[in-house]
Amino acid sequence: MRKRSIATNDPHIQALARIVGERAILYRKEDLMAYDCDGFTVHRHLPKAVVFPTSTEQVAAVVRYCHEHDLPFLARGAGTGLSGGAIPLNGEVVISLTRMKRLLHVDLENRRAVVEPGFVNLKLTNSVAHRGYYYAPDPSSQYCCTIGGNVAENAGGAHCLKYGVTTNHILGLEVVLPNGEVIEIGGNGVPDPPGYDLLGLLTGSEGTLGIVTKITVRLLKNPEAKQTVLAYFDEVEDASQTVSDIISAGIVPAALEMMDQTAIEAVEAAAFPVGHPKDIAALLLIEVDGISAGIDEQIDDILAICRRHHVREVKVAQSEEERARWWANRKTGFGAMGAISPDYLVQDGVIPRSRLPEVLREIANISRKYGLRIANIFHAGDGNLHPLVLFDASKPGETERALAAGSECLKACAAVGGSITGEHGVGIEKKEEMRFIFTDEEILAQTAIRDVFNPKNLLNAGKLFPTPGRCVETKMPSTVK
Amino acid sequence: MMSTMTNERADSPACATASLGNYRFGDLPDPSKWADCVHCGMCLESCPTYEQTGEEQHSPRGRVHLMKSVGEGKLELTPDLLDPIFTCLDCRACTTACPADVDVGGLIEQVRGQLRQAVPLAGWKALVSDVFLKGIFPHPSRLDWLGRLLKLYQKSGLQTLARKTGMLRMMPDHLAEMEAILPSVGTPVRRKYKHQPLIKAKGETKRTVAILTGCVMDVMFSDINEATIRVLTHNGNDVVIVPNQTCCGALHVHAGDRETGRKLAKQNIEAFQDVDYIIVNAAGCGCMLKEYPELFRNDPEWHEKAERFAAKVEDVSKFLHDTGFKPPKAELNVRLTYHDACHLAHGQGIRKEPRALIESIPGVEMVAMPNADRCCGSAGIYNLTHPEMAQAVLESKMQNVPQDVELISMGNPGCMLQMALGVMKHGRNQKIVHTVQLLDWAYQKEEGKDVRI
Repeated sequence: MRKRSIATNDPHIQALARIVGERAILYRKEDLMAYDCDGFTVHRHLPKAVVFPTSTEQVAAVVRYCHEHDLPFLARGAGTGLSGGAIPLNGEVVISLTRMKRLLHVDLENRRAVVEPGFVNLKLTNSVAHRGYYYAPDPSSQYCCTIGGNVAENAGGAHCLKYGVTTNHILGLEVVLPNGEVIEIGGNGVPDPPGYDLLGLLTGSEGTLGIVTKITVRLLKNPEAKQTVLAYFDEVEDASQTVSDIISAGIVPAALEMMDQTAIEAVEAAAFPVGHPKDIAALLLIEVDGISAGIDEQIDDILAICRRHHVREVKVAQSEEERARWWANRKTGFGAMGAISPDYLVQDGVIPRSRLPEVLREIANISRKYGLRIANIFHAGDGNLHPLVLFDASKPGETERALAAGSECLKACAAVGGSITGEHGVGIEKKEEMRFIFTDEEILAQTAIRDVFNPKNLLNAGKLFPTPGRCVETKMPSTVK
Repeated sequence: MMSTMTNERADSPACATASLGNYRFGDLPDPSKWADCVHCGMCLESCPTYEQTGEEQHSPRGRVHLMKSVGEGKLELTPDLLDPIFTCLDCRACTTACPADVDVGGLIEQVRGQLRQAVPLAGWKALVSDVFLKGIFPHPSRLDWLGRLLKLYQKSGLQTLARKTGMLRMMPDHLAEMEAILPSVGTPVRRKYKHQPLIKAKGETKRTVAILTGCVMDVMFSDINEATIRVLTHNGNDVVIVPNQTCCGALHVHAGDRETGRKLAKQNIEAFQDVDYIIVNAAGCGCMLKEYPELFRNDPEWHEKAERFAAKVEDVSKFLHDTGFKPPKAELNVRLTYHDACHLAHGQGIRKEPRALIESIPGVEMVAMPNADRCCGSAGIYNLTHPEMAQAVLESKMQNVPQDVELISMGNPGCMLQMALGVMKHGRNQKIVHTVQLLDWAYQKEEGKDVRI
């Protein structure tokens, strides 16, 4: 808020300041340091500058300037991403969209809303809840992550099992292309427009194809009824088998989450404990929703399946307050790791549900092999694992061991026919692991698409795809000091 | 890339005296505080300054990252660090939001201590700080004297003159506005009860409690101190006013003057050593008193004394609630809302108790304030040091204050002044009251006294 005048001779900084205004640019080291990483803290690099545009025109003007002067640049929302997608590896000009945070339009008749990219995910639901609507994608960081960032990463969340991930809820985008041109895709309400599915291509492109400046999203009507179950198990196998049986019984829960013992230790030591027993091996958090008729029967079926698999204790939330406490405990789970470990790395593998017990056993082996604790908090219902590798970056060699352990977890997922990311994106973190699931030719085909949009590769370079011709081992990018 | 690995960890015995990265003054920051932060970002939306600027060096996570970077030797204690570190309101909302309970406020205070030594205040700011923080607040007699002057200004017609002649327009806007909402000064309870060491409980004495009279509280809001005494005695408490007590030191600690903070803390610890309960009616002061042990991390003897002291401190609302206060019988018939002072809700975790007190009063209709625990921008003397940001934060706050209430209740004098400013600027007519005043009025009415709210 202080008065700022531009105290640098750098002509680029001065030019950018002329576009966005002197109070909308950061360039001093003491300020930039806050932007040297995002939710993935292993790699760090200072940006050249951070600009805070307030309109599409300003974004386009900044992008045009960077394009003309060959300055690398990238977009950033709340910076809660877990794969390093917003880290300025090449000393980028960071285009922060946090001041473009307006809810532009709500159209309940057509069940949609238009937001600016910096609008926070949960605020959308909060803005329409009193009218009986909500925005379905609910990443655990929804208290603070932005919808622009959600589009870039195609974010998922606990309730994506039933309702789909971000891409299933995006109806239109306004995009600034890497040369500064502004285009609009979709948004006119036609459900399946002819031609290529550009919305699908842009959503989840991890900020490498363009910068989203306006987003039309789908709103859903609140379900008539909702029930939430918490189940404690003495054996991980039993919990895994319960997950498998619930799905094969034809029940589609809104959410089906698992936490293991180490994860429970963390959330109970942190700010939102609910009193889970610490000696259980795993817990399941199961939510069903929909029309009232039949909900109770679904719950009965779920309870019966839990009991069949030797559940120690199982309970149904008795109030909205109790349900909210269970979810706050679950959704702050990653941050809670701070209570039991100085650093953590979270992985994001996807596996066929039927292979859950086997992969969890393999992760336990990896944990022993590297001498690092691994907690598991994950979307069991859709087989989306989140092994959290706990380490201490101040101990020599531990970061490297953590990275190797994480990579090996992904290898285990790929080995059973799964994938290396479900919702967190590839970013910097998993780009080499792309080779676990794609051949060189498949990767080249994708970078060819990127080159159509981003021919100079100035926008968020060095992310998403492995550098061609490099060997498989994890390594630090050359720009990282 | 990774943190440089040259620094001592929290458990290293050397860190008590040695430097820690680029922190090189005594009373080093506690690295275990930043070690808990995994940079998840769950704090971002809780932060009033991030809400205003959208800049991460103005966010809890960003500030922790910068403070850690100094500890890792990647940043220096330079003047350019003042903005990120001192723009923090120290409202502690981030600590409530944080999944890992990172004590951002405590860390900010420690780092301000370092930064203030590396980059001392200069010019008029140094002068103002010296006069007020060192010259006046720590000295009850000088505060009393200032209060008398202020009373003279208000009662002699000087105030009217100053306002009419436009003299006030010579002051910066935010100071002129502050002048406009100054409450009228009464008689400090310290002076009033100077020769009466103990104020007897009404009826049977259940316990004896001491009250912190506070510095500004006793000068500006002596009526609230009076109300506090009446409410405590009404509930079976003998009240003592310990003579040697002084300012709690919160303003000094917030400003990075931890040395003066420690001096004041020692004086209070000694002054209150013979009492069992220390009751506080100012959230900021209560929070500071409870955190005295933080000031003596490197001094085992005083640390232990501070721990014993802190265990006796309680906010008046929680104390009344937990000791079974008498629900008032008389009706107040008023519609009001409640604002959570940051240092009550986030600093001390006291949220339901004051609400329970208010809701126990017959005829009171409580209207919920959305985001009631959002900072109002007062933050000690922040509204004087950072008027522009304080004003922006107040603006956001006022958007959430319900229109159709007569009173806004809270438990902190700084908030009371700031909210009065908000009400004035928005042309509203709500009256600002302290939670104990409501109880006091209800009790007085119960005793047949004529109470005008």
